[in-house]
Amino acid sequence: MIIAERKPFKEIQEMVAPYGNVLIVGCGTCVAVCLAGGEKEVGLLAAQLKLARNLAGQAGRLGEITVERQCDREFIEPLQESAADYEAVISTACGAGVQFLAALLKEKPVFPALNTTFIGVNEAAGHYTERCRSCHQCYLGITGGICPVTMCTKGLLNGPCGGTVAGKCEVDPERPCAWCEIYERLESQGRLGQIEAILPLHPHSRTTSPGTVIHPAYLRRYAAHE
Amino acid sequence: MSKLKDALAAGGFPLVVEVKPPKGVEVAGMLAPVTGLNGQVTAFGVPDNEHARMRLSALAAARLVQEAGGEPLMLLTCRDRNRLALESDLLGAAALGVENLLLLSGDYVHQGDHPDAKPVYDADSVQLLQLARELMAGRDSAGNPLKGAPTFFLGAVVIPEAQPLGPQRLKFRKKMEAGADFFVTAPIFDLDRYRAFRREVVPDGVKILACLKVSSAEEVEKAARGELRKVYTLPPAVIQELSGGDPEEVLAKGAALAGRLARQLRSEKLADGVYLKAKGRADLAAAFLQAAGF
Ligand code: SF4
Repeated sequence: MIIAERKPFKEIQEMVAPYGNVLIVGCGTCVAVCLAGGEKEVGLLAAQLKLARNLAGQAGRLGEITVERQCDREFIEPLQESAADYEAVISTACGAGVQFLAALLKEKPVFPALNTTFIGVNEAAGHYTERCRSCHQCYLGITGGICPVTMCTKGLLNGPCGGTVAGKCEVDPERPCAWCEIYERLESQGRLGQIEAILPLHPHSRTTSPGTVIHPAYLRRYAAHE
Repeated sequence: MSKLKDALAAGGFPLVVEVKPPKGVEVAGMLAPVTGLNGQVTAFGVPDNEHARMRLSALAAARLVQEAGGEPLMLLTCRDRNRLALESDLLGAAALGVENLLLLSGDYVHQGDHPDAKPVYDADSVQLLQLARELMAGRDSAGNPLKGAPTFFLGAVVIPEAQPLGPQRLKFRKKMEAGADFFVTAPIFDLDRYRAFRREVVPDGVKILACLKVSSAEEVEKAARGELRKVYTLPPAVIQELSGGDPEEVLAKGAALAGRLARQLRSEKLADGVYLKAKGRADLAAAFLQAAGF
């Protein structure tokens, strides 16, 4: 899922300072799981803002609403109506959700409450780690289910750099070297032969942003994108 | 044309001395070893933003070394350039007469003085060797033909004391396959460990320049406290030998030790030459030469 962190309160407060009525829109999917932008966090942010605004003597109303997913048109369309009475919107979604919402509410300023960090996993409550750089070319099948693009700090495709110290990464002594882990896992599975061949340069042309993916079943409908 | 190549081929035990491109444009200090030691030194290693600290460009520095009468061995890292820049710098090097190259991934940006810089690593060191080979064959990495193909003598790095050794061996094999003509090791202080690596891991005929380093007092103290986090180790006897005295004395002892190690590597045929890191200082390199008896 997508992992995000809430921005410092002061930054959010300053973004919406010029506006009276502000609607805070939460997202009930990834950012709710990582405790950054779900319904609860929307409530918390609203309370914080209310307090700060009262102290500063600023008038205005703060609305709260959380949708299932802000990255899905179906879920955000009703927000057009909900946002009508507000001068500005704060979105607690990831960057994708914020942009989708901003495109929908074209006339209205939409501000992000989060910094989107990575695609990762939920290690334990409150502990998230990165796993995927969405690089358009998955190597996991040959690298033993450990991603060299993401888990190796340098994203090296052909083995470890010269900086590995006692199996730990050059960049962070607390973290295992991804290439040592890849090697160890493949060795234990008797699959080391898979990484013997030199992998070619990564096809970065595919990663040119913004990316588009069209499911084969929809090819005809969206032929223009082909 | 490469003296380094000829010396390695002839078994001449070449010495490469590293110079230090300045942070700034005052190049006299960088060139001191070139003007002072030329004749006793086969080539001069020119680091590329070493430890991710921004310095004068390795390509310009390599050319300056050449104009001062030395033969450069230019380092080129994947950290700061995408494939376009790597290839065009390689062509630039060739056009300026820089033939010897040491191709490496490069220390990560966090280690250096521009920690917020975008790390590139579009290619890794194996792929960079392949890029250079492609250029030599008259094509760029996209398959476009070149007007005039460059000539290079290609080096790569190997870490004798890597732990675990398996992944490093894999990388070493890939670098050989990708066309490395010679290897430069990580610094060697522990001859026993290096001997084991040389005998067990390095196939016959592979040319190795053993890196010898003159350690600073700070590094020796760190090693003594067990806090040196490096890809090489200083054995207790070496720490004891280098410890004590003011920073200059430690450096002098380091140069003498490096000289002794070089002599031994040569007599035991454990290396084909030496890559000396002596802070870019001509006096320390001279002290090394004296101790080595070269
Ligand atoms: S130590 Fe390992 S994980 Fe870290 S940058 Fe080097 S190869 Fe990648």
